[in-house]
Amino acid sequence: MKPIIQFDRTWYDSFLKHIEDNGPWAKSELFSLAYLAEKERIIPSFHGLIAPGRLPQLKLHPHQIETARTVIEEMHGKAILADEVGLGKTIEAGLIIKEYMIRGLVKKVLILVPASLVLQWVSELNAKFYIPAVAQRKAYVWEHYDVVVSSMDTAKREPHRSIVLAQDYDLIIIDEAHKLKNHKTKNYQFVQSLKKKFCLLLTATPIQNQINEIFYLVSLLKPGYLGSAEQFAKNYKSGLRSVKNEQKLKALVNQVMVRNRREDTGLHWPKRIIKSFEIPFSKAEQDFYSSLDVLKQHGIVQSFSLLTLQREACSSREAAFVTLNKIYRTTTTPVTERLWHDIFDKLNAIQQNAKAEKAVELIKQINDKVIIFTEYRATQLYLQWYLKKNGISSVPFSGGFRRNKKDWMRMLFQNNVQVLVATEAGGEGINLQFACHLINYDLPWNPMRIEQRIGRIHRLGQEKDVHIYNFATRGTVESHILNLLYNKIHLFEQVIGELDKILTHIDLNDVEKQVLTIFEESDTDGEIKIKLDNLSSVINFEQLQLKGDEDHAAGGNS
Amino acid sequence: MQQAEIHDFLVRFFSSSGCSILPVSSADQLKVQLTKEMDKRLMNRPFYWHYIEQIGAEPELATLTFRLNDNDNDGEFIHFGSPRLHQIMNTVEELGRFIRMYQILPSQSAPALEPWLGLNLKISYQCDLKKDFIRSVGLQLINGTLIEGFQSMLKRLQLNQKMPDYCYTLSPLITINSGIRRIERFIEAELNTEPTDWADQANERWEKDQQLLDSFYDYQELKPERYTQEKKALEEQYKPVIKVKLINAGLFYLQSSTFLPDLIKDR
Repeated sequence: MKPIIQFDRTWYDSFLKHIEDNGPWAKSELFSLAYLAEKERIIPSFHGLIAPGRLPQLKLHPHQIETARTVIEEMHGKAILADEVGLGKTIEAGLIIKEYMIRGLVKKVLILVPASLVLQWVSELNAKFYIPAVAQRKAYVWEHYDVVVSSMDTAKREPHRSIVLAQDYDLIIIDEAHKLKNHKTKNYQFVQSLKKKFCLLLTATPIQNQINEIFYLVSLLKPGYLGSAEQFAKNYKSGLRSVKNEQKLKALVNQVMVRNRREDTGLHWPKRIIKSFEIPFSKAEQDFYSSLDVLKQHGIVQSFSLLTLQREACSSREAAFVTLNKIYRTTTTPVTERLWHDIFDKLNAIQQNAKAEKAVELIKQINDKVIIFTEYRATQLYLQWYLKKNGISSVPFSGGFRRNKKDWMRMLFQNNVQVLVATEAGGEGINLQFACHLINYDLPWNPMRIEQRIGRIHRLGQEKDVHIYNFATRGTVESHILNLLYNKIHLFEQVIGELDKILTHIDLNDVEKQVLTIFEESDTDGEIKIKLDNLSSVINFEQLQLKGDEDHAAGGNS
Repeated sequence: MQQAEIHDFLVRFFSSSGCSILPVSSADQLKVQLTKEMDKRLMNRPFYWHYIEQIGAEPELATLTFRLNDNDNDGEFIHFGSPRLHQIMNTVEELGRFIRMYQILPSQSAPALEPWLGLNLKISYQCDLKKDFIRSVGLQLINGTLIEGFQSMLKRLQLNQKMPDYCYTLSPLITINSGIRRIERFIEAELNTEPTDWADQANERWEKDQQLLDSFYDYQELKPERYTQEKKALEEQYKPVIKVKLINAGLFYLQSSTFLPDLIKDR
């Protein structure tokens, strides 16, 4: 069948009018230059990439260029980008958008990302790719701009939903696409209803638990590619998690999915240098910490609340005070008044924070940009005050900050101040690879959060080795966590990306809950130690299992 | 486009659009004082211009400084990917769309000039991939002589936008409208002789994906709206089509002996 030939004839009338009116005519030099401009800008071949040549200031890695080419030429613009964490999926996506835009195959683009990443996408596309992307802020943006970045939650909600569904998108990109694994969710159905010519799904973990997940992900891209749900179940499933005809499935999936692995990229990855500090409490701090037990002994708090208080006390007296005061105000009776008095006296007696002193000492020694992570807002404020007192400049960073403020703080940190004090919620969605020192001022019990913290600086673009300093107070709940959970299972040393694989296999909440239960139900430190030992053995076992699995299965492009 | 060619392009553009090129210290730099028209086109400041024109004040025209190497800090780095260059190229294409030119002849030659219609066309071959090709065609509007590579031919001639005093133009027998049609028919005939493997392959890909889609909804008697939507999307993705777009067009009055017979494609 011959291709259809379409002539653009919209210029006829205007040309004839120029002849009729005797002008106005273009200058001859401009006429020649217009021809030259078009000649320089034509796309000479169906194949190869034009975009890298037009991005002289962007350092692209070979695997990123190859990925973009594969997606466009071999996958025809519908693909799952499933590189391991930190290999630059955003860059690959940007390169693909750019190539399509240069070729004139894509004009209208919708990019759906987690809310915390919207601004980062916008700025990367603009700064690195000269793609005029805008963040969705007002309803009219959907129709008036060609390249829009938005969160899924905004897009799927009215009044936006109907406008978005009415658009004809040339390209749709969905970041963190593994969240679309369940076809019954509103998000899945929303994405399914979008009109799209090309589509990229970005995820670091294409398969987490069930084999069905890959079916639903692929069916978003290419319905029918893995058959209907029934056919898929019949051909590839045996039970909920197991696969049959694995080789065949893997081969099929690899034709719609690119998964670059760190070891295949040939890139030099900076090392992680981990240092743990067990810091002894000062006498006053120790007294205060020990006095908290009284609250449980008198039945004022349950073991869970006590644990919370103890963890806060390990961070700062300020953090503990917030909770303590809350409990005091809700439970106080004349009978317990004296007991409380004693505790608050001990809290007030604290003159110094052993960890903060250590932090200052360390920061002065490092003499470079440092990020401090704490779980508590009160500690964050305290640390800022304490650093200032010691002549160290810092800025705060929290997840609750507006996008502008986040960017502003990041800029200040990059250009003006030495320390960024971040709370947990600030862990996701900013790249701070210009810094390479990170202090975990207190330790979260959810290891994934540690990974996210480290991921802020240990990523593509980090040129120096990354130094992680873990603080734990000696002889407290924290030291148990540090020694037994982290040190034993070597979570800090994991290469980035490995951890998420391991942890998605073990139910995360389970780990946290297990640890909690151990603390709650054990009467002695010895008991806690034994039980945590058991838990780490289980995780280590899972880790080994998974390594084995990885070697002969999983969806890699080998 | 190399940096030197970009420099040359910019100098030609700014000079011919009336802007003044200002002195610079380095050969890697280019500094331009814009005219009012170019300021309005390039600087994207409509409110400023609205305000200035409302109060009737003297405008401060913008100065642009470009640098052609990546190391300097002074000025806007311009390269083949920079949005500024493409903005300028788009402006060039708007300003250089239609033209009328006369050949300048030595005084002793015959004073009659024949009318030619010249079209520069961009031909895009498009499916899920795309490539372009430029054709430049000239048609003599009296006897229908048609030549290709018209634009590069013009480059060798001395042309002027005003008719020389001692010359006169011959009246066309072919109207502009039918001249355009003739060129279109010529292009169409040429395109029809080209190999279609790229289109055949795209059709195959399309067919394959369509079959997958059909099988996905096979069990449903009444196909849901999503099926129709996906089907349409596949058509948009793969359907091979050749698009012909005008770059620019002109009327040229040239001497009949200008063109050698071997250039003539069609009569």
